[in-house]
Amino acid sequence: MKNEPLAWYIAGPLIGLIVPALLILKEKQFGISSSYRFLLSGFTKKLGYFNYNREQDAWQFYFAIGLVLTGLFYNWNGYDLNALKTTVGSVKFYAPTSGFYDLSNWAIFLFGGVLIGFGSRYSNGCTAGHCIMGMSQFSLTSFIATIGFFIGGLFATYFIIPYLF
Amino acid sequence: MKKLINIASFILLGIYFATVLTEAQAISWYRIQEMFYFKSFHMYGLLGSAIATSALSLWIIKKFNIKSVNHNPIEVKDKPFQWKANLGGGIIFGLGWGLTGACSAPLFISLGINWKIGILLLIGALAGTYLYGILKDKLPH
Repeated sequence: MKNEPLAWYIAGPLIGLIVPALLILKEKQFGISSSYRFLLSGFTKKLGYFNYNREQDAWQFYFAIGLVLTGLFYNWNGYDLNALKTTVGSVKFYAPTSGFYDLSNWAIFLFGGVLIGFGSRYSNGCTAGHCIMGMSQFSLTSFIATIGFFIGGLFATYFIIPYLF
Repeated sequence: MKKLINIASFILLGIYFATVLTEAQAISWYRIQEMFYFKSFHMYGLLGSAIATSALSLWIIKKFNIKSVNHNPIEVKDKPFQWKANLGGGIIFGLGWGLTGACSAPLFISLGINWKIGILLLIGALAGTYLYGILKDKLPH
């Protein structure tokens, strides 16, 4: 498998085009993390947060199905997440040379997942809804959220990851 | 039938988005680490040009009053301004992003690529969402 990523100046605009595509074709504002709320509201309505008009978020769940299917397609073609450890710079990766994506790191994935779910719902958006959609609207809300994403990410990278391996 | 086509169109858009993200390796913990170490321009170029393309598209839609395929005017709404939640939640999300290298879209993509890892991420994300549902009224927004 090839390890060179698709160049940013091609991939970036292709990513950005999802915003007008969703607006023009489907009249939807780009976002993904509301799918968590949609999924949970299918199981529980006891909490007020999950007792809402969930149909408004159903499309994000369908969109997520497309994401999973794409992952399956790559899986069938032997795609290995650990094969991406070649670095373009001089980063010292703390993960073992066998690769970060290993079940021995299950606690990182599980606990990290909790932070992703909690944080994206608390900040009312994730990298999709805030970073890409909101920033392109020049929304102060999304600018603040994006600063938060980077504060958290930098802290995890410099002060947590080095002590986990 | 109409409902089916509606669902299929979202799935197709998801496939498009996931293919670009995966080809650009934006789903990789390694690329995210390089980004947070400021050692690679790749992710910044990716995010920057995505935002620029999206912003330009929004400007064109507004300027030329472009309608949706169903001939409706396109409304772009702002999310509510809740700086404490945006910042606090943002930092918590960022911690998860930094630790796992996954944000919401890569989470679902990795569920397909490596379901054992993906299911851990998804169970965690749903647990975190549930926790937010419990704590919502007690948290500053």
